[in-house]
Amino acid sequence: MAGAFKGCQKIRGPQIRNLLDAKDFILLDCDGVIWHGEKAITGAAKVVNSLIRHGKNVVFVTNNCTRPRENYVHKFCRLGFTDVILEQIFSSSYCSALYLRDVVKIRGQVFVMGCDGLRRELDEAGIPCVEEADDPDATIYDCALAPDVKAVLVGHDDKMTFLKLAKASCYLRDPDCLFLATDNDPWHPLSSGRILPGSGSLIAALEVSSGRKATVIGKPSRFMFECISSQFSGVDPAQCLMIGDRLETDMLFGSNCGLDTMLTLTGVSQIEKAQEYRNSELTTNHSLVPDYVVDTIADFLPAFEELGEPSN
Amino acid sequence: MTALRAAALAKQVLDSVDSAVPGAPQVINLLKENGKKVFFVTNNSTKTRKMYVDKLSVLGFNAKEDEVFGTAYCSAMYLKTVCKLEGKVYLIGSNAMREEMEAVGLQQTGVGPDHVLGKQTDWANVPLDPEVKAVVVGFDEHFSYMKLNRAMQYLTQPGCLFVGTNRDTRLPLEGGKAVPGTGCLLQAVETAAQRQAQTVGKPNHFMFDCVASQFGVDPDRCLMVGDRLDTDIMLGSNCGLKTLLTLTGVSTVADAEAHQKSGCAERQGMVPDYYVESIAELLPALQG
Repeated sequence: MAGAFKGCQKIRGPQIRNLLDAKDFILLDCDGVIWHGEKAITGAAKVVNSLIRHGKNVVFVTNNCTRPRENYVHKFCRLGFTDVILEQIFSSSYCSALYLRDVVKIRGQVFVMGCDGLRRELDEAGIPCVEEADDPDATIYDCALAPDVKAVLVGHDDKMTFLKLAKASCYLRDPDCLFLATDNDPWHPLSSGRILPGSGSLIAALEVSSGRKATVIGKPSRFMFECISSQFSGVDPAQCLMIGDRLETDMLFGSNCGLDTMLTLTGVSQIEKAQEYRNSELTTNHSLVPDYVVDTIADFLPAFEELGEPSN
Repeated sequence: MTALRAAALAKQVLDSVDSAVPGAPQVINLLKENGKKVFFVTNNSTKTRKMYVDKLSVLGFNAKEDEVFGTAYCSAMYLKTVCKLEGKVYLIGSNAMREEMEAVGLQQTGVGPDHVLGKQTDWANVPLDPEVKAVVVGFDEHFSYMKLNRAMQYLTQPGCLFVGTNRDTRLPLEGGKAVPGTGCLLQAVETAAQRQAQTVGKPNHFMFDCVASQFGVDPDRCLMVGDRLDTDIMLGSNCGLKTLLTLTGVSTVADAEAHQKSGCAERQGMVPDYYVESIAELLPALQG
């Protein structure tokens, strides 16, 4: 990784094997890397299972905050990733709960704009959340505000309404109330190629109304790596490889944490964009450039076959 | 005295809780009696011109409909006369915006409550009206994830226009509450769609263009009066008008001096030529 800035190195079989020999921790994004929606990417399950069997620590790092980790375990199983357990899964919702419980040590309530998946992670961590029942006729002019709200946490919220934005804005007027975001992704792709508005769009609205900047828990912020490191009693960044599909989140995350990065081309970002960032005059853009590129995670398979191991 | 555009009054009168700034109605009415043309220019998009005139009358102002320029009216005019829009509008906004659009012959879809139903794949595949050729965002108390989603889906279509009424960040309320302004809703849509909207309201010059095209106004003979440096005074600067800050609203003299001393060329546009404590200070000059 040291040396002249190159980046975007396309690698194959033997080179992948050499890379894997040097890494103990493989961090994988999920959407666009190992699956699209409910469909696993061809070969991905074999790759993940092989990595685990070869003694690598495999962890999944996802900004998707819509489901609790138990649901993820079921999904992994459903899609053929049979060796994955709860402790390998790091979602932005789980890490947000850890942040509130262990870093902030929150005393007081949290106003949550997010889905049930996020609320469940908070409940499991014992974080008190403001109840979400709004009278259908309530408006900001006549609604009650909860007392003792010490944090506003914003994630993907398909039940977002003007009233919720207004309430969040009111709570954020207190400078002692934290402003947290599970992630800042402006939009999310669906497997069909369509997209949906992401957490980033709601956060943008609140940043405008409050004049404050949110603290982002998910990628590209370092916090999820700190959660991983903490759980595994210390992880050396030099031993890690981060594999993702989105330059602005996965690659930047890897770069921020001092990890080697690999872009797979089965998701959001195209190789041309990576090259654009590499050729950019703004050196900050260089942090978005992957060290390595593969067409698909399945490109790892020959590396295992060469070792003479069954790739199943 | 030059022709006065009473934007300060627009802000105080039209948007606040039903009370005129003391002395304001007398000032406006005297100006008109002295032969000055007076126009009300506001970024608020929740009322039609007729609704504003009704409110102004109740508060003692002599005002006519064609003297009022709000962003509901100006957005419709912008789409019609500048964009020459042929096609429908997907509208995130009020009934007032809908009325002003229909008044210039533009059809819209989207006004009113719109909650999310079904699953994620349903939302991404939400049926799009093929006649929609523009997305317009104004103040909307029914703003929801579904509306944000629809707007974003339309905006991913090539050739779809994107217009916002204004970027005001919030509306203050009593009791320590704050209402997010149109600027928040617009930023949400811009972020999801990864596109910037064209805004119609102050400080963009379009609202002045609207007045000037209808009334043959000479910028050299105009005075822009307002209480916000970043919208009212900036508009005046952008259009070559003299500007007067009144201190009965948002901005302070200290704010203005900070812009002046900043040494930043862009910020000089927010330095007013003159300031008064209140519009009522003009009374002696008018009565004498």
